[in-house]
Amino acid sequence: MPDATQGSIYDLGYRGYDGPRLGRGYALLSLYIHSLRGVFGLGRRTGSKVFPIGLTVLAFIPAVIQLGIGALTESTVEFFHAHSYYGYTQVILALFCAAAAPPLAGRDQQTHTLSLYFSRSLERMDYAMAKFGALATALLALTLAPQVVLFIGNGLAGNDLRGYFGDEWTQVVPIVASAVVLCAFIAAISLVIAAQTPRRAYSTVSILAVFMLTWIVSSIVAELTEREIGLAALLLSPFHMMRGFTLFLFGETPGATSPLGIVDYPGWIYLLAAIAWTALAGYLIYRRYEGINA
Amino acid sequence: MNRVVFSITLQQVAGKRRTLFIGLFALIPVVLAVLVRTAGANVEHEQWAAEGLFPVVIIGALLPLAALIFGTAVLGSEFEEGTAVYLLTKPIPRRAIVLPKLIVAWLATGVVLLLTGSIAGMVALAGTGDMQIALGFTIATVIGALAYSALFVMLSVLTSHALIVGLGYVFLWEGVVTGLFTGTRILSIREYTLAIGDMLSGTPDVLFQAHLSETGAIVGLVAVVGLATWFAIAQLERWEITAGG
Repeated sequence: MPDATQGSIYDLGYRGYDGPRLGRGYALLSLYIHSLRGVFGLGRRTGSKVFPIGLTVLAFIPAVIQLGIGALTESTVEFFHAHSYYGYTQVILALFCAAAAPPLAGRDQQTHTLSLYFSRSLERMDYAMAKFGALATALLALTLAPQVVLFIGNGLAGNDLRGYFGDEWTQVVPIVASAVVLCAFIAAISLVIAAQTPRRAYSTVSILAVFMLTWIVSSIVAELTEREIGLAALLLSPFHMMRGFTLFLFGETPGATSPLGIVDYPGWIYLLAAIAWTALAGYLIYRRYEGINA
Repeated sequence: MNRVVFSITLQQVAGKRRTLFIGLFALIPVVLAVLVRTAGANVEHEQWAAEGLFPVVIIGALLPLAALIFGTAVLGSEFEEGTAVYLLTKPIPRRAIVLPKLIVAWLATGVVLLLTGSIAGMVALAGTGDMQIALGFTIATVIGALAYSALFVMLSVLTSHALIVGLGYVFLWEGVVTGLFTGTRILSIREYTLAIGDMLSGTPDVLFQAHLSETGAIVGLVAVVGLATWFAIAQLERWEITAGG
């Protein structure tokens, strides 16, 4: 029995918690893992799994086709090249972002649970980082993983596996670097849009429009106007920047008739622009969560 | 047709935010046409309108996006916000709910495309004296808008992920698959619209050549509109009130 002279009204007999406090880092890690699982719909109903997992499977198709070609024919025909892989899957990547980012950023706003997160040891910065990290990591499954399949598949198709890896190991750096930059880049763009509104309809369409409309419009501007205006248009288009910095990292040049070839500026511009856009979008995501009413 | 459903849906669609949102999209072809006009280098204006502006920018991207936004909003947002239950428990046949909503979606999409298509077309073709390209393709866009609207209204009845399915249809199926496997073009609203545009604008084949014949396109459009509308009504007739609403 507590002392009758103090707190007799308020002390309802609940026990305090004096176990270990896991703290901010643990909260961040938990939210990151929870968000990453949520991107693929793990721990959610089947309906939430169909699109993320279906799109991930689609992103592997070119790599699997290349594997099949390698297995069926004796020669080592490279039908799908590593440096142009994202050219085949870019629409799938955009659809994945449009499907995954809005619930990732919007669900907690929709259900008014943000205040629960921010009343714990998790900082607003941590929340933004966990969400961004989750989407970027999830995207690696659609970018880096197929590239690895393609790389190993090409190695297995030839007879001389040891020789293949000996010759081609320099490809590992551009494969990993381009995938990491690309995932961070499109994750940041998608999240900065998705974080603005809890309304799924607006953010889904906006994300896809940012990728597809800029791609269509910038291609035309690059073809029909002067070089400087063309470059400015391409630096507003995520798909063109992706293409530009991937080719740059692999040390390849764009085709002369492609928009990048017509504009004809060195590839490092696109890498720099993509990093700058990622940083700007990251800052805006942080600002959004710093100022949001929770 | 039900006047009340019609006017309520019209109010829902004409919200300030959605209008602003679509208005931004609709500005894109106009801005692009102005840019090509002022900063373009060696542009063949008729060729640019018949090869780029109308088939790629307006019919390939803007038409499906606008139709998707309106088509999934007219009925889908009622399901999302839980107001569908009040509408669907009224003693009116389901076709009197679907048809006015479909017409509103078509009207909204059509008006947006009519404005952006005619303004962008005028800017792109001013001075060439051949406005029929703009006129023909713009009318075709409005016709195509009905097929897209019917398809997306049906999708919004079938699934709560209508937006993603619709975007996948537009950009993966019509954008990628029909380019790789030309046989699938007979199942693409974009190709129907382009064929109608080709017919109405009377563009010479050197400028623009649709992949489908006019008859095929008309049959396809009628089939899409009819089947999608019928299926949406049929699905709604089997709809049951659940605890979630």
